[in-house]
Amino acid sequence: MSPTREYLYEKGFLFSAILSGSIVFLIFAFMLIMGLPLFKGNQVVALIKNDWLPARGVYGIYPMVVATLAISFFSLALAFPLSLGCAFFSGSIAPPRIARVFRKMIQIMTGIPTVIYGFVGIFLLVPIVREFTTSTSGLCIFSASLMLGIMISPTLILFFTDSLEAVPKSFLDAADALGATRVQKLLYVMVPQAKKGILAGLILALGRALGDTMVALMIAGNAARVPESLFDAARTLTAHIALVIAADYESFEFRSIFACGLVLYAFIALMVLGVRWIGMTNKR
Amino acid sequence: MLDRVVIAFSWISAVIIVGAVCAIFGHIILNGAGTIKLSLIFGDVAPLDALLLKRQVLNGLFPAVIGTLLLILISVMWAVPLGLGTGIYLAEYAGAISKKIFNLFFDILAGIPSIVIGLFGFALAIFLHKNVSNNIGPCLLISSMALAFLVLPYIIRTTQVALEELPREMRLTALALGATRLQNIRHVLLPRALSGITTGVILAIGRCAEDTAVILLTGVVAMAGIPHSLMGSYEALPFYIYYISSQYTSPEELLTGYGASLILLVLCIGLFSAAFLIQKRLTYITLYRA
Amino acid sequence: MNPVSHENTKIRVTDLSFFYREREVLKKVNVGFAESKITALIGPSGAGKSTFLITLNRLWESIPEARMTGKVEIKFSGMYRDIYEKSFPLPTLRRRVGMVFQTPNPLPMSIYRNVAFPLKLAGEKDRKIISQKVEEALDRAYLWDEVKDRLNEDAINLSGGQQQRLCIARALVMEPEVLLLDEPTSSLDDSAGRVIEDLILSLKEKLTILVVSHYLEQVKRLADKSIRFSEGSVIN
Repeated sequence: MSPTREYLYEKGFLFSAILSGSIVFLIFAFMLIMGLPLFKGNQVVALIKNDWLPARGVYGIYPMVVATLAISFFSLALAFPLSLGCAFFSGSIAPPRIARVFRKMIQIMTGIPTVIYGFVGIFLLVPIVREFTTSTSGLCIFSASLMLGIMISPTLILFFTDSLEAVPKSFLDAADALGATRVQKLLYVMVPQAKKGILAGLILALGRALGDTMVALMIAGNAARVPESLFDAARTLTAHIALVIAADYESFEFRSIFACGLVLYAFIALMVLGVRWIGMTNKR
Repeated sequence: MLDRVVIAFSWISAVIIVGAVCAIFGHIILNGAGTIKLSLIFGDVAPLDALLLKRQVLNGLFPAVIGTLLLILISVMWAVPLGLGTGIYLAEYAGAISKKIFNLFFDILAGIPSIVIGLFGFALAIFLHKNVSNNIGPCLLISSMALAFLVLPYIIRTTQVALEELPREMRLTALALGATRLQNIRHVLLPRALSGITTGVILAIGRCAEDTAVILLTGVVAMAGIPHSLMGSYEALPFYIYYISSQYTSPEELLTGYGASLILLVLCIGLFSAAFLIQKRLTYITLYRA
Repeated sequence: MNPVSHENTKIRVTDLSFFYREREVLKKVNVGFAESKITALIGPSGAGKSTFLITLNRLWESIPEARMTGKVEIKFSGMYRDIYEKSFPLPTLRRRVGMVFQTPNPLPMSIYRNVAFPLKLAGEKDRKIISQKVEEALDRAYLWDEVKDRLNEDAINLSGGQQQRLCIARALVMEPEVLLLDEPTSSLDDSAGRVIEDLILSLKEKLTILVVSHYLEQVKRLADKSIRFSEGSVIN
């Protein structure tokens, strides 16, 4: 093979890397440029602080930020203990055969399309919620958090299980030799060792919850006001983007969705940096 | 005492998650299985006529199925060469510092919510509409590009990890025989890393098939028929399911929604199982590297 | 302590130091190797013998966080060439300086294609020439008779000793002038090791051979000269 060809290929690989990398930058740039009219004067503060009242010309995204944080928080509050329990189960408590089948099932679960979670949410979960709670339609933060919690669990479980299993076998042997029970071994040897991995998994799952569109769009009710209880309807940032897209392209209303995009982008970037930071402290 | 609490907690968690999975699958299968007939796909049109595009299918899933398949095909055509090239660069050529920076970029790309990528696609369409040609709007082309951006990190990472995991001896063997860097990649490293790379491509296909948020903003519509060009709008299975869930007018229509859900579910589960089958150690740690 | 440079010195190493991360693995090594002789590199493990070998074909350049200073010259067609010179193409160097590793490392392909692989890398297309050279190399490596009827079998099916001879054949097919052997028999049993020793002895007429070895017996049987390494330095 000639040196020129070698050189061309190398530059080709470099070019694809630069192209791929520039997408990350481009997405940010587009959000910023499209949302630019929003950043004149002190409108930014108003944008994030105000309610969404299009009839009065007030286009604040505060209710959406609150709803996003609420739904993410509650879904994680549900998914975290559930996933930890499942990871204990598949990593230590369950008999090996059952653990294997269980793990297969969880892997397969990661393949369920999000729109299916939404669909099942509407037609199975929402009627039940309507029946047993104060929510009149059943479309509320509670329903969305529940479904979202189930949806992000498989990722968390697999991540936790991987972290638990990454604990060096010599540590486990040492614990065995000291007469530790299965649970003691799990709690005092495996979990402390896997703490960083568990934290990283948690942050990534939070990212998934924040970024989810379909479940929130389909079963959270999409009311653009600040929710007051778990059983209020609410609209997340992601759902807001999906719902406002049809508006006039030059309107302030339309521009506001790019602010939503920027907020989501910033959340995610912070999270990735957080996970990296954990990874770095891990190596020391 | 503590032992018992932890054991009970683990079992209860496992039972809840198994219950949830059974509820989801059960609900879709029980309601959807009855609808699985040829007419679900083709409506009143003879299958062969539909496949040869002789007659338009108006009351079946055919256009949505074709739309989804086209979407997958075109997105993968964008994403695979780009992702493969990037993965090879990162694993085999990049220096320590540029690798760190690129890795950070792709971690962020992997985390960006799909609706934001959809919004980017939408903004890109507006931009092109204003600055290049009036004919460009949200369409199959824009959707496939946006989806390609969405799945790019999967392909980059699996390629990079598959190459980096190869043992050092294998890396040196061909070099010691006088292979150039490129020959080593082409003849030794890539063939060895193939299963890992395939897994990434399959996962990417699965993501393209199931994603709704990206296409929602970039050109999918409820009624478009078979797309005639890359510049046209199109239908897709996941969007159809979303659409039916909010706009259904009769129980029969809702049932086709269940049918579509079942088809999509089987497709995606099949793809993910295949990916896990090919690579048993497909861990979430490789997909979300810290 | 400059190496005595005779007329028949094939390899000349001057002030060679090697660093891995912050550790100095080789410290200002000065040594020469005679043409058509077998030189054994001996000494405790971790003394830098294997590292020294890969400075002679620049293979260490593929190892991250490694660094080298000093000069290595090899006499090709009567002229000493600095192998670290920019104009010296790396693939050419590696074809002239063959290497065999401690554990046999056949590539995942057939016996025939393993041996033909370096020819393919060098761009040889003529099938007749390829098959002729493959046979020659296998013959020189004492393997032809054992594999001539199963050339298309996967190389992984061969025994350990056969695999190692295959790797030697693969190194010989480019007709190198120098052969580097890194403990070539340590993963094999005694009888398989003996076959390899005989084979190495039969090659020395045409080749300059450097062999890292831990076995004193083996060094006695094989080597014309031995060089002892200790903590990264050569001891005379």
